[in-house]
Amino acid sequence: MELTVDRRWDLVDRIAKETVEVGVYRPSLKDALADVTVRPATGIPVAIAVIYGFWMFFCEFAGTLFTDGFFVKIFDGHWLPWLQEVFPFGLGNWFYELMVDAGHMENGVLVASDNCFEAFGVLTSGLFIAIGVVLPAIIAFYLILGLLEDMGYLPRLAVLVDTVLHKIGLHGYAIVPTFLSLGCNVPGVSATRSLETRKQRFMMITLLGVFIPCGAQIGMMQDLIPAQIGWVFLTLLVGYLGVGWILNKVWPGGESPEILMDVPPYQMPTWGNIGRKLWIRVSGFFKVAVPFVLLGCVIVGILYLTGAMDHIANALEPLLTNVFGVPSDTVAPLVAGFLRKDLAVGMLEPIEMTTFQLFTSVVLLCIYFPCLATFALMIKELNWKEILGCLATLVVVVFIFGGILHGIGTIGGWY
Amino acid sequence: MDKKLSEMRYEEEGRIKKIEESLRAQIAGMGIREGKDIKMMTKQPIKGPVVVSVDRSNTSIGLGLADKIIVEVKR
Amino acid sequence: MNKILLMGQPNVGKSVLFNRLAGARAIESNYPGTTVDYTKGHLMLDGKSVEIIDVPGTFSLDPKDRAEEVAVKMLEGEKDAVVVCVIDASKVERGLYLTLEVIEKGYPVIVALNMWDVAKGGNIKINAPRLEQILGVPVVPTVATRGEGLRELVVRIREAEPVEIEEILNSVGGNRSGTYS
Repeated sequence: MELTVDRRWDLVDRIAKETVEVGVYRPSLKDALADVTVRPATGIPVAIAVIYGFWMFFCEFAGTLFTDGFFVKIFDGHWLPWLQEVFPFGLGNWFYELMVDAGHMENGVLVASDNCFEAFGVLTSGLFIAIGVVLPAIIAFYLILGLLEDMGYLPRLAVLVDTVLHKIGLHGYAIVPTFLSLGCNVPGVSATRSLETRKQRFMMITLLGVFIPCGAQIGMMQDLIPAQIGWVFLTLLVGYLGVGWILNKVWPGGESPEILMDVPPYQMPTWGNIGRKLWIRVSGFFKVAVPFVLLGCVIVGILYLTGAMDHIANALEPLLTNVFGVPSDTVAPLVAGFLRKDLAVGMLEPIEMTTFQLFTSVVLLCIYFPCLATFALMIKELNWKEILGCLATLVVVVFIFGGILHGIGTIGGWY
Repeated sequence: MDKKLSEMRYEEEGRIKKIEESLRAQIAGMGIREGKDIKMMTKQPIKGPVVVSVDRSNTSIGLGLADKIIVEVKR
Repeated sequence: MNKILLMGQPNVGKSVLFNRLAGARAIESNYPGTTVDYTKGHLMLDGKSVEIIDVPGTFSLDPKDRAEEVAVKMLEGEKDAVVVCVIDASKVERGLYLTLEVIEKGYPVIVALNMWDVAKGGNIKINAPRLEQILGVPVVPTVATRGEGLRELVVRIREAEPVEIEEILNSVGGNRSGTYS
């Protein structure tokens, strides 16, 4: 027999009456903290401090301590010169070019590279990006995210941002897929399964795919343009909120449901659990990331060797230079970006351009297409109409953003 | 005095009197049901959600949903 | 018994319990979002390996989003499974609601009164033996984060049996000898 809802609750009450005795409760420090972090007057400053702290840790731990302080020295100082010495064939040979160092022309002479950003071989740039930059970035990111999750901070953040996100048709819970996407878009897109309506899932997936850079990409950006990265985030945030607002107006599916969410008490995180979660996430990420970075290096290398890259660059030059105001050389990173965004950002480094063009390229790289792994998951989660909507959004956004940035750069005289 | 949950003031307390049918089953699983004592913990500005406390557990509820809950406020 | 399902509401420490029982490989967090993809593992029971599944957290069997739908579908797809209902001991009532729903569907159930330490700290006393008597299924206090009570939980899984809801109605509150009308 099954009971009705009311009868079942009635039974629960009767059982509880006999078995549960609730004594006096004295609010503890934990409860005070819970209160402070969810009340707007105090909660918003705390949220800003938490996110700022998160970012500082990410930069200091991943960027300064590990990448600059350790991996750059190892890769540029020892690994690259050693490979250049022992690897057969030498500069100018196609296989050497693919695996170790493509070199570059200086006064008509082909010279060897002196750092792993420029060498562009599978074993040099490929490994440096995957291990030297992305690994510390991903570890730093997931360590803090795991801590915030296990403490129970995220639901409070969700309550605080609900006011804003509800206005663009999502609700506060959307902060969770967004945060996860800042690590990797793939689990971010998966997490949209907890959103209630199809429309919300479609909007969320589109916004994640277009505007949210992944941890690997952020790590590379932080390495490449530390001074402009704040502007990159601001540009993306404007897009996220603005396009969200428009999508909410034009996409059918009605009003978004309101937030109804349990706000669990704070808990002391256990290191065992955080460690286990970190390990699962980092190892899972690397099983996908490393092969793709290396594969990306090979494909881009082959496109260069066969001359195909020049053809593509020539074909796209009018678009890139006239509409977006970036050099046609950026076509190579844009091709690589289909596979891996971190690799693509790394490929911008050797290209000669102004700081503003570099900034524009980084933004374009972020929004022009999600990486293949993310796109594959999007196809699985969305129906064909939604995929078309998502791609249409993407194309419109790329042209509008590229055009506006070009305009701003022209007015500012930054070319 | 009865009022909507959405109209309760910060730190006001009361007892849940009526929950609209459409919301009832869903919200009951979270421990919020008729006859329970309820306390307003926070109200977010510009029509943001409220956070209420029932049986020591906190739940965040959008303002529109909070309109569907009638509370008998304690004086 | 071919499978064990771990069910409970979000944030009751279900995934930590799962990790303890199955050994590894589950992502635990305060958000249902990361546990939508369910996790499987194996548990040694009487020298036999039994599959144990960490079902996504759900407030009731009346789903309100896709994650909860998955939970209900998984339960319905495993008609022969034993269900371990994980309850937050400091929020017994809502946990009991879900437990009753599962019992009504005819599944053999064992209850883990998890976060026992939190309930104690909050000055909540639960008469577990009496609860066991009323429900007619094993009730075991646990603290999953510290591994307390888990041995007893595992040992008593085989005592889980389907219970008729009428029996529970009859054994509760002064009504013990009478019949429910």
